[in-house]
Amino acid sequence: MNTVSNMSGSRLWAAYLGEMRFEFIKSLRTPAFAVPTLFFPILFYLMFGILFGSMRGNSKQALELFATYGVFGAMGPGLFGFGVSLAIEREQGLLTLKQALPQPPGAYLLARAAMAMLFVGIIALMLTLMAVFVGQVTLTFSQAAQLFAIDVLGALPFCAIGMWVGAMVSGAASPAIVNLIFLPMAFLSGLWMPMQYMPKVLIDFAPIWPSFHLAQMALGTVGAPSSGTVLGHVAVLTGVTLVFFLLAMRRMHGSGFRLLGARPKRTLAIVAAAGAAVIALSMSGVFGGKQAATEAASAATDATSAATGTPDPEAARGVAAPEAIVLASFDGGSATAAYGVGWSAAGDGMRGGNSSATQQLVDGGAAGSKSALEVTGTIGDGIQYPFAGTMFFPQGPPMQGLMDYSGKKTMTLQARGDGRRYMLMVISGLAVEGIPLMFDFETGPEWREVRLDLAKFSNVDWKRVRAIGVGTMGPVGPFRFQIDDVRLE
Amino acid sequence: MTQTTLASLKGIRKRFGKVQALDGFDLAVNRGELLAVLGPNGAGKSTAISILLGLQAADEGTAELFGHAPQEIDGRRRIGVMMQEVMLPGVMRPRELLEQVASYYPTPYDVDAVIARLSLENLLKRPYGKLSGGQKRQVQFALAICGRPELLFLDEPSAGLDVQAREALWKVVRELQHEGCSILLTTHYLEEAEALADRVAVMARGRFIAGGSVNEIRAHVTRKQVSCVTRLTADSVRAWPDVAQVEMERDRLQISTRNAEALLVRLFREDPQLSDIEVKRAGLAEAFTELTNHSAREAA
Repeated sequence: MNTVSNMSGSRLWAAYLGEMRFEFIKSLRTPAFAVPTLFFPILFYLMFGILFGSMRGNSKQALELFATYGVFGAMGPGLFGFGVSLAIEREQGLLTLKQALPQPPGAYLLARAAMAMLFVGIIALMLTLMAVFVGQVTLTFSQAAQLFAIDVLGALPFCAIGMWVGAMVSGAASPAIVNLIFLPMAFLSGLWMPMQYMPKVLIDFAPIWPSFHLAQMALGTVGAPSSGTVLGHVAVLTGVTLVFFLLAMRRMHGSGFRLLGARPKRTLAIVAAAGAAVIALSMSGVFGGKQAATEAASAATDATSAATGTPDPEAARGVAAPEAIVLASFDGGSATAAYGVGWSAAGDGMRGGNSSATQQLVDGGAAGSKSALEVTGTIGDGIQYPFAGTMFFPQGPPMQGLMDYSGKKTMTLQARGDGRRYMLMVISGLAVEGIPLMFDFETGPEWREVRLDLAKFSNVDWKRVRAIGVGTMGPVGPFRFQIDDVRLE
Repeated sequence: MTQTTLASLKGIRKRFGKVQALDGFDLAVNRGELLAVLGPNGAGKSTAISILLGLQAADEGTAELFGHAPQEIDGRRRIGVMMQEVMLPGVMRPRELLEQVASYYPTPYDVDAVIARLSLENLLKRPYGKLSGGQKRQVQFALAICGRPELLFLDEPSAGLDVQAREALWKVVRELQHEGCSILLTTHYLEEAEALADRVAVMARGRFIAGGSVNEIRAHVTRKQVSCVTRLTADSVRAWPDVAQVEMERDRLQISTRNAEALLVRLFREDPQLSDIEVKRAGLAEAFTELTNHSAREAA
């Protein structure tokens, strides 16, 4: 008897694929969905990224906003596709009918997620074409491909959030509620205009938004200033996806909808385990050998090395930092630190830029000390992300050696300057191309303390610090600042 | 194909807050039959069907579809479903909807064959949302049958259809039954059950109260309906023994009685000019009203 109800594998596969195609066509034909999700990112980018940017002669902004509008584009299809459609179809009885029919398990959700990712792919392609041909943005193929992947996979956390909204709210209220989540989150994550133009309190709170993390990954890919590490962002985004997906399924199941077939618990357990594995892998990449104490964590670490092709993290462990608390007082007649190489003035000439800096010891250090390090120079317009300042390499040849600062709690330095914003930069991690920490601070005529609580910057691989720098990325023009009494304790 | 009971509910109890929607309800659908489930609003018809379809879980009792729990997809791959209140995606065309639903089944009918069988050709060019209410029901019926189901669930299938469309739908339902498909019909239209059903199950307040063929259900009702043209007034006849109800409808007197023979003798005696006489056994409508009223009195 059972042969009657047995679906052949190919028919089942075709049913899933057909469901995806159906969902895609349906979404394309629904103007309330297709117009805002497809055209808003493109239109906004054209207006704010390309037109306004080029009016100010700022092609750097066109590139940066290209990355962030891609993330904006990645949010809409998932949020609206699930948030609005699920709410409406739940109420209209369609979901009930689908459950009575032998719709393959999970097909409803998979088709929608695939549709959202396809839409995001289309948006990413259109943005890329516009950036390259209209915005005159220079972009390598690898950067474009990475951004595409970030955007398309980045649709998933927003699918999960949309699912949760769609499970909770009424169909009539859903568009308004989705917009209330979508638009503020996009703005507060710096997707419409760069974060540095925002009040500090918003910058501080930005990491609570999943879109912020996706944006940092995208910005890092195009070489724009960004914070955190890729693996840290992946861990956060996977966590967001998992939590909202589980919340949504719990809610739907409570209202009598079985979207995952006859054995939802098994499916949920598999999804949760997969999500947890991704998070564990990401975290083990971030924290390196820290969790190697347990067997599971070390297995995860091995898997990361195998997956990424990076050397065994244990082998590339930072050298334990010396006990010395004062890293540099600049009172001994030179700019050398207690250990390592530097401080030395650095520009962006090596990256093809024309920003430069020189440094010298000057009398009158902080808190009445003998002298301080003064750095002067000019930020040029040669490359998109200029930098000039002074750099310190704690261990061995510049950028090559790794130092383990995980035993330290705070980093402080005294600074004063011409009133520009400067930043303290920490380059860390196994991958040289990792995104550095950039901690902004203001300067004035008086000495001020810049203080970094190391534990708060968990995205920095404090076990493997390559370089610490102080400098500026712009705006274009001359600059002057002094630093003194750099401490790590 | 030895299995004779395709779907069954046994001892089902289901409570929603203070309302006991089903109170030990049993139902079995056998191969090849057309079973109509009747009952007044709130009798528990929809709850029973949704438990049988796996849309709700029973508090107590067992539900089976082709030997499986209804939540399992295996049983549901052998059924077709037409629901009463459902809004399908308005931007999709009927053929796209049919292709999608047909893809869920192992051996569906050819979509074009279904379109031809139900004469849906004229509806194909318009998106579903632009169809009239009756046309939408026809598409929904097509979706229900396209998977070549062995058991078809029809919930108020002819609601919103004009007479012609209803007759056409009935014709296909009879054909399908002829081809071996079993059908579980829930309906408010008693004439629909009378026209189609082999067997009727009457529900009231979450329980099965009577079952059998249409004729058997009718036999539960002892009343007959006598109608004639007479000079006698309704008031005078109402006083006679065994007369349950009398009404004057235009020029005809309608009398409902338990003893038609005695009534007729007296009618001819009192009005020899009496003409155009008609005696009818009660229809399913009367049987149904009587059965459910009776059960309500018992419950009270």
